[in-house]
Amino acid sequence: MNLKRELKNSWIIMIKESRQLFRKKILVVPLFVFPIVMIVFFGYGMGGTVNHVSLLVVNDDTGTLSNSLVNEIGIFIPKNSDVKMFDLTYTKDMAQSEAEAKINAGEYKAVLLIPADYSDTLAGNEAVTLTLLTDQSDTTSSGIIVEVMKQVLAKTRKSPSIQLEIPEIYGSLKYIDFLTPAVIALTVFFGTVMSTGYAVAGEREDGTIVRILMTPISRGAVILGKTLHQLILQLARAVILIVAAIIIFGVTMNGSWFLVALILVIFTFGAVGMGIAISAKSEDMTSFQQISMLFTLPSMFATGVFFPLSSVPDWMRWIAYFIPLTYANDAMRIVMVKGQGLEAITGDLIILSVFSVVIFAVAINLFRREA
Amino acid sequence: MSRRTKITAVDNISFDIYRGEIFGMIGPNGAGKSTTFAMMTTLIKPTSGSIKVAGFDIENDAEKIREKIGVVPQQHSLYSDLTARENLELMGNLYDVPKKIMDERIDYYLKLVNLETHSERYTGGFSGGMKQRLSVISAVIHDPEIIFWDEPTTGLDPQTRQAIWKLAGKFNKEGKTLIFTTHYMEEADKLCDRVAIMNSGKLVALDTPENLKKMSNSTNLEEVFIHLTGEEIRD
Repeated sequence: MNLKRELKNSWIIMIKESRQLFRKKILVVPLFVFPIVMIVFFGYGMGGTVNHVSLLVVNDDTGTLSNSLVNEIGIFIPKNSDVKMFDLTYTKDMAQSEAEAKINAGEYKAVLLIPADYSDTLAGNEAVTLTLLTDQSDTTSSGIIVEVMKQVLAKTRKSPSIQLEIPEIYGSLKYIDFLTPAVIALTVFFGTVMSTGYAVAGEREDGTIVRILMTPISRGAVILGKTLHQLILQLARAVILIVAAIIIFGVTMNGSWFLVALILVIFTFGAVGMGIAISAKSEDMTSFQQISMLFTLPSMFATGVFFPLSSVPDWMRWIAYFIPLTYANDAMRIVMVKGQGLEAITGDLIILSVFSVVIFAVAINLFRREA
Repeated sequence: MSRRTKITAVDNISFDIYRGEIFGMIGPNGAGKSTTFAMMTTLIKPTSGSIKVAGFDIENDAEKIREKIGVVPQQHSLYSDLTARENLELMGNLYDVPKKIMDERIDYYLKLVNLETHSERYTGGFSGGMKQRLSVISAVIHDPEIIFWDEPTTGLDPQTRQAIWKLAGKFNKEGKTLIFTTHYMEEADKLCDRVAIMNSGKLVALDTPENLKKMSNSTNLEEVFIHLTGEEIRD
């Protein structure tokens, strides 16, 4: 074996490979941008802390001792952060049921109820109990808020102690309850974009789509057929996922199956459109894979699937507002965890519908021109 | 005429193809054959001018044209994860062929191309020749009036090529009009009643192979082709 010759040949092959890669300009961008996007989203998303928690303080205290407590809460800055944790709003004379309704409606992440006898009880050297309501459909944020509140209370007064009563407003919830609805939405999104795109890009590559398009079938019917296939497939996957989560992890399904199906049907339409649109602009299967990853994977980390949106930096939260999966996650959690009805998810459904209609129209247009 | 992406692929050509004839389109690379083919099979629309296929205008009646034509594409274009029968059923169903008639035709055609014992196999495991034979019968499952063949024998062994020619002859005898594009002069000479020679988007000759040879004082179609299109290698 001539080592010099072997090395030279290897060099030739390496140059050829690089040349081929850089000729596909559409591939180069995701290839290098993607790792940066991933590290940014992972780093900020997983390593972040909860801040800007909207906290309503219902202060019925007739004395003045509660002032220092409220002040401590207001100025609390979590570790590794330079931002105050709570955005405080004050009120008084609000019943617990009314406060729960405000959390249900998403107006506040937490409500702290300070009783009228707070100052008097402490002055009498007796332990006092505050009620803390949190949005327990977001188990991560809720857990952090409770822990922080305990720290602040301990710091404010050692003795006599201030106790916390934390009612379970949605029943006993675990992290898996927070995770499951979003994982279903994520699975549907990923599965639909990838399988639709692979089908279209693959059929373009092997020429089968051209044969189909030369039959009397319209392009719209081709897309509709693929969409119906995805709708059935994804709804079946969602049902299996929910049932498995209920059986294996005891996940709570507080809401309507019909609303879950409605959210997923609308969202699947959009995801099919996205898959077709990306594949119509992709030269081949490899290009499709790279470009679709650029859209799908950041969705996973920016939209609050694994951690709450309240724990991410403001700029990332803004990105999330432009990603449809954010609204699918929100709607799924509202229905599955909070058990709320159609009114509570109307806003999410409108945004998802607009996304689906727009991306579907773009997809049909691109498919007509490019397929 | 098609002027997509600023290139005029086909420019100011006009010809008629008669019912029941075998018509060949030949030309060097970039001559405009594929574009003409794509326009006639309704895949793309001309930017100006008009084309009628089976009496229908491709601009307004593309769907009616698609019902009347069958296309044997250059690629085999078969679903590799479907069986031979399933591929044929798919095409039959898209053309709305009644189930009973479709089943009879599938059995008949599979036998005709010696694939009856492979009907339940996935086509992914087929050889190139088997795929092409299946591709041909996929194009006729709805009994079209006109069959378009896009370089149907490229890359095939001589036996399969002969078999494809035989099939073409059989379909023509049944009254179907056949329109070929090919790079093989022998194929055009042997099969076609008339041949159109295209070059740089224009029609440079159209006649029977015999007349074309006489006209150029040549003994074979390849010489006519070189004579009319030049020796220059095309991109």
